[in-house]
Amino acid sequence: MTITIALPSKGRMKDEASAIFERAGMKIVAVGNDRSYRGRVEGWDDVEIAFLSASEISREIGSGAVDFGVTGEDLVREGLADADARVEFCARLGFGHADVVVAVPEIWYDVDTMADLGDVAADFRARHGRRLAIATKYWRLTQQFFSGSHGIQLYRIVESLGATEGAPASGSADIIVDITSTGSTLKANHLKILSDGVILRSEACFVRARKAVHAEDPLVDRIIASIRAAL
Amino acid sequence: MPLINLPAFAGDLLADFERMETVRVDTPVIQPAEPFLDMAGEDLRRRIFMTQSETGESLCLRPEFTIPVCIRHIETATGTPQRYAYLGEVFRQRREGSGEFYQAGIEDLGEPDTARADARAVGDAMQVLANRLPGRRLKVTLGDQSVFEAVIAACGLPAGWQKRLIHAFGDPKQLQKLLAELADPKSAGVFGHEVERLAIMGMLEDEERLVAYIAQTMEATGYSTNTSRSPRDIARRLKEKLELANTRLDKTTLAVMREFLTLDLPLADAPAALFGFAAKSGLKIEAALSLFDARVAALSRAGADIDLIRYRAAFGRPLDYYTGLVFEIEIEGTAAVLAGGGRFDRLLTLLGAREHIPAVGFSLWLDRIEHAVATAGGAK
Repeated sequence: MTITIALPSKGRMKDEASAIFERAGMKIVAVGNDRSYRGRVEGWDDVEIAFLSASEISREIGSGAVDFGVTGEDLVREGLADADARVEFCARLGFGHADVVVAVPEIWYDVDTMADLGDVAADFRARHGRRLAIATKYWRLTQQFFSGSHGIQLYRIVESLGATEGAPASGSADIIVDITSTGSTLKANHLKILSDGVILRSEACFVRARKAVHAEDPLVDRIIASIRAAL
Repeated sequence: MPLINLPAFAGDLLADFERMETVRVDTPVIQPAEPFLDMAGEDLRRRIFMTQSETGESLCLRPEFTIPVCIRHIETATGTPQRYAYLGEVFRQRREGSGEFYQAGIEDLGEPDTARADARAVGDAMQVLANRLPGRRLKVTLGDQSVFEAVIAACGLPAGWQKRLIHAFGDPKQLQKLLAELADPKSAGVFGHEVERLAIMGMLEDEERLVAYIAQTMEATGYSTNTSRSPRDIARRLKEKLELANTRLDKTTLAVMREFLTLDLPLADAPAALFGFAAKSGLKIEAALSLFDARVAALSRAGADIDLIRYRAAFGRPLDYYTGLVFEIEIEGTAAVLAGGGRFDRLLTLLGAREHIPAVGFSLWLDRIEHAVATAGGAK
């Protein structure tokens, strides 16, 4: 059986992933020219490489269209319901670190925990005639964290696909749920992370789609073992 | 409407509703999604079927009837009191079972005699179920948010704690967590270092200075002072939070609250038990209790089989528009909830009604009732 591995198609994610594969004895070569979106692994005839964007990779693993992929944990957990039942996180790759966090305006001196935020959300409608608005592109993670882990129901999500940190100052939302690696953008926008507001500590992961056929394929175990050995 | 899917007893059910002096209403299956998400919270989003209109408006398939019936009432500017009945399909994403199923129910809007209206909602729900399921023993669980609120208020907690506890009512895990926090002698509040600085500057005692300082900082950092929380909101909540952090429940009060939450007894005995509890603990909750008592009396007068009803003090629904009575009906010995209802005095105002309209109602899960009818006589 041919095993397909999806890798990021550009940028640092691509370079770092390629470096790990090379250390694992799986040197990746592009098929055709350098810009090609297909690749193969030198000496591994039954392995194919598909270069995709990071968010496509999590979707393709979820649907089982590819067998493995390298992508951010945040994208997998955001993109898939029941992520752990559908995919296996085989290895954490040590790059692409970023936290998904709940951040509120610094000036909210009275809000430092999710419990504080729960109080504010409960009262919001009565005071402002609308629900507390959260700007984010992480719908699922936000819902799980707010409703599931903290019992906060009364808020509305405002979809934000870019420059999310600017939403509170511009008035399009009250708080944000976003990804941050150094926190400097949050600081520049006068936002602070709640003390218990880290939803997920994400990094690039080597992820397997849970497919029944993998059980009989020794190649699957060999790939996982090679990648783990390279870390 | 695919009539073939309708439960066989739909006609009889509607005849019951008519005898109960209701007006039958229908609402469009396709509804604006906003009011549902606004009232029930974002978590509902993954449980409803959503789509968008060509112009970008969020739409959903009707996930329940209460909100559409209330909106329709407001839009048609019908006078009150008004008793509406509905029967139709609702659509929800469920792990098990079909995503579309039938619900029916009654919404009683604007009846000023709340005890009577409450009793009627419970009594009607019991009656229509008894008519469908003759010979099966029903089990009704009844709770009352306003009694809980009165107990909390009488315990003398600061407003912030009262709000937290009331908000958690109906969510036993969250409520226990809060009570444990309240009893913990260590202060649970987390304050940023900024707050320490404010304390040193003496601003925490002086609300006006604090408000001015917050307003000034907001302007300097490009935050508008009026689109979200205002400087005064922040200053007041900060004071409330300091209070929250400094309030610890003494053992006696905590024991009183815990004792209240464990009350679980036949409804007929509940008024006496509650008055006894109030007398023993010294809590001033007579106003809430006399309403409770009036409701029990109204239920007896209406001829409901009160022996089937149990009062459980901790029973509630964690939705912020429920205000008083809540109840659920099952068949004794089974776990499926066949009917659920309660009082939602805040909902119509939240949906835009100009005057306060008290409201109470219930809805029936027709698929579960159908299943119960089919297994009648069996062990299940």
